Formats: sequence, C-alpha cells, structure tokens
Amino acid sequence: MSQPGRNLAIVAVLLLFTIAAPAQQSFDRSKTPPAGKPPVLHVPTWTKTSLANGAELIVSEKHDLPLVAFVITFQGGTYQTEAAARRGLAGITASMMNEGTKTRDGEALSNALQLLGTSINVNVGGEGGSMGFQSTTSKFPQALEILADMLVNPAFPAEALERLRAQRLVALTQAKDQPGSIASRVFPKILYGSAHPFGQNVTEESLKAITRDDIVAFHKVYFQPGRALVSVVGDVNSSSVKSTVEKALGAWPRGGEKPTFAYPGLPATHAPTVFLVDKPGAAQSTFAIGNPGPPRSTPDYYALQVMNTMLGGMFQSRLNANIREENGYSYGVNSSFAFGKGPGAFRTGGDIVSAKSDAALVEFMKELRGIGGSRPITDEELATAKDSLIQRLPGTFASVQSINSAIVTLWTQGLPDNYYQQYATRISDIRKEDVLRVAKQYIDLDHLTIVIVGDRASIEAPLKAAGVAPIVLTDIEGNAR
Amino acid sequence: MRKHLYLWVLFVLLCVAGAVGLQSKPPAIKIPFETYTLPNGLTVVLAPDAATPTVAVTAWYHVGSKDEMPGRTGFAHLFEHVMFTGAGHTPYGVHDRFTEGVGGSNNGTTSNDRTVYFETVPSNYFETALWLESDRMGFLLDSLDVGKLNAQRDIVKNERRQSMDNQPYGLAGEILSSTTYPPSHPYSWSVIGSMKDLSAASEEDVKNFFRLYYAPNNAVLSIAGDFEATQAKMWVRKYFGDIPRGKPIKRPSIRPVTLDKETRLVYEDRVQVPRLYIQWPTVGENNDDRFALYVLDAIMAGPRTARLTKALVYDTQAASSVGAFQDSSEDVGDWRITITPRPGHSLTELEAAADALLYKLKAEGPTQEEIQRATAGQEFDFVSGLQSNLGKSMTLADGAGIQNNPGYFQTEYQKMLGVTPADVKRVANKYLTKGRVVLSIVPIGQSDQAAKPSESKPYRRVEQ
Repeated sequence: MSQPGRNLAIVAVLLLFTIAAPAQQSFDRSKTPPAGKPPVLHVPTWTKTSLANGAELIVSEKHDLPLVAFVITFQGGTYQTEAAARRGLAGITASMMNEGTKTRDGEALSNALQLLGTSINVNVGGEGGSMGFQSTTSKFPQALEILADMLVNPAFPAEALERLRAQRLVALTQAKDQPGSIASRVFPKILYGSAHPFGQNVTEESLKAITRDDIVAFHKVYFQPGRALVSVVGDVNSSSVKSTVEKALGAWPRGGEKPTFAYPGLPATHAPTVFLVDKPGAAQSTFAIGNPGPPRSTPDYYALQVMNTMLGGMFQSRLNANIREENGYSYGVNSSFAFGKGPGAFRTGGDIVSAKSDAALVEFMKELRGIGGSRPITDEELATAKDSLIQRLPGTFASVQSINSAIVTLWTQGLPDNYYQQYATRISDIRKEDVLRVAKQYIDLDHLTIVIVGDRASIEAPLKAAGVAPIVLTDIEGNAR
Repeated sequence: MRKHLYLWVLFVLLCVAGAVGLQSKPPAIKIPFETYTLPNGLTVVLAPDAATPTVAVTAWYHVGSKDEMPGRTGFAHLFEHVMFTGAGHTPYGVHDRFTEGVGGSNNGTTSNDRTVYFETVPSNYFETALWLESDRMGFLLDSLDVGKLNAQRDIVKNERRQSMDNQPYGLAGEILSSTTYPPSHPYSWSVIGSMKDLSAASEEDVKNFFRLYYAPNNAVLSIAGDFEATQAKMWVRKYFGDIPRGKPIKRPSIRPVTLDKETRLVYEDRVQVPRLYIQWPTVGENNDDRFALYVLDAIMAGPRTARLTKALVYDTQAASSVGAFQDSSEDVGDWRITITPRPGHSLTELEAAADALLYKLKAEGPTQEEIQRATAGQEFDFVSGLQSNLGKSMTLADGAGIQNNPGYFQTEYQKMLGVTPADVKRVANKYLTKGRVVLSIVPIGQSDQAAKPSESKPYRRVEQ
C-alpha cells in the first residue's frame, strides 16, 4: 500500500483510521469486542448432617489445592446476649478464649498455632459469632484439636482480663480521635436510641463493669452446639471428616438453642436533622446519612440490591459519580443496607473536604430524591446494575474461605439451598417500577438522620445557609449538647 | 490508589510468612506460567488456571514516586488517576462499565517504584479487558484535557486528607521518610505528594510522563485465570502489538542511605494517646539481607511470644500495642517499630525497654525455634494466595518487573525458609545501629510526653 491512489477504497479506510487513531491500526479500536459466552455457574455442592451433640455439620469438598477452611458459626450475637451495661463482654470473652486452656497456657497456644502456620479466630458480632481457622490439609487435624480445646476448656485467667480491658480502654480513647469511628458510634445511637441494642455502644463504664464471672457465664451460655453450624470446606473427604470432627468435638456437651431475634420498637421518627459533632481543625467532614432499614428476609431484597447498586454500590453509581467524580468533593462515597435479622440501617456517606460540606450535603440530598423519582432511571443504568450483580456470582466461589461463608450465609439467613441457582432470575425480574418503589419506601426522605463529624467553626454557618435541615449540636456519644 | 488504600499488603502476605512442613511433604510452590516479549518490548506473562471463571489482567509499569522531580511530588499517583479518565477509543465510564458493570472489579495502585493497574472480569470479558488496557497504554493522550486533570487533582487531595491529614498519626510515614532520607533523595517524599506540588502539576507534565514511562518497553502485562493460552497470545498481539516502543529510560542509580547519628523529633497531633516510632534505614529488594529482616520483624513483634510483644504488651504491660516491620522498596528499605503506651507509661520508658530487647537480640541472636515460628505460616500463605487470580497475576508481574523473572516468588520462598539464626543476628547488628530516627507523636501542647523530650526537636511541618 505504498503507492497512494492505487486503491482508493483502501486509502479512504486508512485515512479514517488515521483520524481515529494515530498509531498503526489493523482493526477498529472504537468497537467494543463482543463478550464471549457467559461462564456456567458452578455452585459448590455440600452435604448436611449433624453431630451427636446437636450441632449441624456441612461439608463441601474442593481438592484442587491442599487447603481447608473450618468454621463454627453461632446464631445470635451481642444484640441477643449482652446487657447494655456490659457492652463489650462478648468481644472480651472471644479474646479470652485465646488466653489459654486447662492444659495449655496462652503462650503455648500461640506457639503451637504459629508452628502450624495458622491462627484461630474467635469473633462475636451483632447477630452472630464464629470460631474458625484455615490451614493446609496436613495441619488440619492438629489445628482442629487446638480449636476444640479452646472451645471446651478455656481457663479464662483473671490477669488476662485486666490486660485485655486496659488495651480496649486505650483503643476506645483512640477511636474518639478518629472521625469515622465517631460517626459510627453517633449514627446508630441516634437512629435506634439507647433502649435498642443497635443504639448501644461499648463505653468505658461498660468495659470496666465486666467481671471474670460474666465471662465464664457468657461462654457457657453462648458457645453451645444447639445454636451452631460446623462447616468444613476444602481438601477433605465428607464421610471421614465427620468422624474427625465428631472425635475432636467429643467433649463439647449438648445444649443451647437458636435465639429468637426479637427487637424492641424503634424510637419516634424526627424531621430531617443534621447532627453536628465538632472536630476542631478537621480537614474533612465525615458524613453518615440514613434511616433504619428492612431485615434480610424482606421480599424486596432483590429490588433493594438493584436500587442500591445504582445509587451507591459501584464506582459509577449516582452518588460517587456526582460527589467524587464530577465535583471532586471526596475520595469516595457509597451507600449500603446492613441486612440482617433486625432493622439494619440504610446508610450513605463518606469523607468530604471541609470547605464543600454544604455543597456535598445538597448533592447527597439531590441524589436521594433522584433515586426516589426525581431523576428517572435509564435502561442502561438498570442493565448495568443487574449485569454487575448477576455476573459477579460465578467468580465468588474462588477460595475455600469464600465458599464457606457463601454456604454459612444460607444457614444464618434461612435461605433455600438453591438460593444461588435462583439468584440471576430473581435479579433479572426486577423492573424500574420495583426500583422506584423500594427507593421511596426504604429511603425515608422525611425523616433522615444526617450525622456530620467535622470542624464546626468553618462548616456550621454554610451548612445552615444550605437550608437542608436544622442543625443539632451533638457530643461524640450522640447526645445533644 | 484509585479506590482503596495500599494493596501492597497482598505482596507482603505472599513475601513475609512461612511454614516448615517438616512432617509432611509440602505442596509444590509453583504457578504454571509462560512468558515472552513482544517486538515493542512489552513483557507478557500468561498463567492459565480454569479453577474460577474469571480472568485477572495486570498492567504493571516501572514508574513510581521516586521518578518524580522535586516540585512535582505526588505526580506518579495523580497520573494513575488520570489513567481512569478515558482514552482514545474508550471514553470515560467505559472502563467501569466493562469491569465492575459486568460483575468484575478494577483498581490501580502507586508506590515509590511501580504503578499497577488491574482488573478482574468474568472470563467471557477477557478480550474486552485487553481492549481497555491497551487503549490507555496506547492512546491516553488522544482524549486528555485539563478538566479531567483538575477533577482528579481535587480527588487526590481528598485522598491525602482522608488517609493522612485527617487521620490520627497519619503523617508519621511522611515525617519518617523525609527525615531518614536527604531532601533530594527520591525516597524522601511521600507517594501521595504535597498539596502544593499537586496544584502545580500541568497537562504538559502528564504528556511528558506518559510518553516516557507508559511505553510497552516499560511495562509488564500479566494475565492469570480462566483463558486459553493460544487465544490469549492472539489477542495480546492484536491489542498491544502495534503500540510503539518508547524511548529508552535512563534510571538514576539510587543507593540506600546510612545515618551516622540519631535524629529525635516530636510532632504534636490531634491525638489523645502518644505513640513512638523508631526507624532505621536498611535495604530494599535488591539485597537479600531483607529476608532476615522480615524474619526479624516477626521475631520481635506480632504473636504474643514475639519478643517486644511478650515483654511490653504481656509481661510488663507498659504498652497497649507494638509493631515491627521491614518495608522493602526496589532500591531502599526501612525497619521500623511502633509502640503505643498504656496510661501511666512514658515513651521514654518504652524506648529504653525496646532498646534493651534489641540489644539482647543483637548480642545473642534468636533461637532456631523462633525462626521456625516466624516462617511457619509461609506455606499456607503461598498456597492460599493461589486461590486468587488477581493475586497470582500481580505476583508474576512484580517478579517480571523488578527481578526480571516472573517466577521469582519461588526464589523468595526458598530464601525466606533458608534464613538462619546467624543471619538474623548479623542483620540486626548491621542495620539496627545508632543511626536512626526516633519520632514521638504526642497530643497538642504536650511535647513533654515525647521520648526524652529535652533531646527531641519539634518537627515543623512545611506547608503542604
């Protein structure tokens, strides 16, 4: 093609390419390559039985790598088990289980686990707890034996309690320096009130009130097989691992039952209000905006997932596209629903440069009104949100850990065994009117709580001038000043 | 980092860990891969593995904050953000639409030495991902405008506020680097850069930086996951083959520094609890002493039987937490300890206690059992990392880019397991000398809470 004019058609094509892209081209880069055939969804299979002590047992085999993820999951958490005056008890008890058993002290436990290349994590969250580890296949029996010892024979040394308490008190002091931690204490407190477990925080007083007797009693009541699921995922054999687990947990006595998840009613709603927590000199204002939401069992779950994906679940969602990408007010904002057994919160927010706190609040409100109807949903938006949710699923079963938690979620939330197989259809079925309906129903524009932690001296007047909502000054515990 | 803060943790997990599988045969430490170079200089690494139906694509560029000029600090990272604003044939938004919008994910990360872009997509969008990455490698400037640069400039300033200026103790890293290295040393400034320099970056700077550093001869394309190698080679050639080679890059030779005396600083911050940092300059990824330094940090802090942790957090309970960390960059490294006191205990007391423990270790060396415990998680960490296509593609890319060998992780693994008590004793004596930086971060107005307050100079923050 070195002779210009020899073939006009080709010259014309070349010119076109030259205009579109200066580098040498043999194809049209402006055309999106077609996607291939979607990968087939392979949901792992599992067997479900129970142990002699009543704990349920799920085993899922995966043999491509010599790895095992072992977890005991407990139904119910701090919301069901902790008294308001003892907030922090479950967390301290969980840590105390690493402090030694009747035959191994804390150092012996630690050394043994280090040599096995693993660690045993004990956690109690709001509505559930867990105790588990991941290991290579060859270390699995030994690690399981240590876990059983920690579960059944904890020593709970009194000196360890004092050390853990003192460490937590320092951490609590440090949390009060951190704008994000302050927002996470104040926001639920205002949303749910101090009579609701969701609104109760760990305090210095509650930490100081915890005794060793409380810990012994909590352990006895909480870590029981009657509320537990044992799940083993990885390089194990379903039939032989059952006897391994049965033998290891042989001394774990029958007892306990699944809790009910009854919650007190929510406090009276209020007109939209800005609760301003002063953080003198802060370079950014931390925002938390929202209201109590529905439980995971709501039939609107799928519509809410699609709606939230459009609003604040992805990078190009409305909130982030506006507040970060268009306006540069923040490094990132998002939104979410804390789905569980109770009225988990709808929450949006992020860290906003102080000087744009007022402008950002206006934009947050604009987007919340927008998803509620003032800005129509486009076909492309709806398609992207659905594609994103549906096509993410096949890739989530990648690790023994992620498979384990995918299976456990079905158990804790009472979902059917074929949940993942049905997921794509459920999401596909969502229409624009569903999205609009759930946005209106679950984002309560007339009663929003708006927590802002920032430099009062520079942001209060502009926030007031913005006229979005009246301002109430609040201390770092969420009490009106 | 575009969306999340420092992902280098992933590498650290793969590098610093360890298991001596004495009783059973350890699984093979391998990632099957092939590697080749295109005529334009692009290094390609392919690691097919059909276990999970996703493909991870990593585009790794050998450029970072150390390549910046004084007066333009933070530029490499700001540039990373510009790479997400669209390119010649893929307007802004398309990249997200065909990654996150199809169930995948994308992000980028900048360090002192490298800038890495990566996406994980369902395997049927593999070709799309190559199209996206090749368009910004070849055609970024076709769609560049100053508006895009300005928008990202504001976002990066907010990233700085969120991760450093508005975080308690958030400036510690920047203060330590600027004190450990002389002012013009390429590792003396932070990756995020200063507000002033971020404001100064121009469109022309973006163009020059792109032309020099974002050429295929300065990049590695590493792909792991559910794809077929023959098909991948065809597509890689199609999308990347005609991007022109750039000018040769002359890299300055950067040498690690040594300090001949102790520098003591106190910085007043909006914190209620003081904290002590002690940092020694050590070595980077071009020096094998770093392996013994990794083992040393695990022996000193972390699990409850690590020496500093046991003594300060458990036995005397003078500290609420301690940490020790060997941080290795390409050319330099630092070894650092961090101590947060419990009420009633001073930083002066804690510094003396930590020094006594280090002195003992330097005199006696560690035991074989301590070494074994410190390296025993390595096998699990490596095998566990194989479950992530993204983790594998990044490990291979980093080996190819820094060590000129995608399979360098194997060498690294062997070297970690080969560390002896004598190695640890030797590196502790060689690097943990009197030449160091001691930084106290204290509540505002309470500089007397610093470690040895009368010997500590107030750190004066230059206007950022």
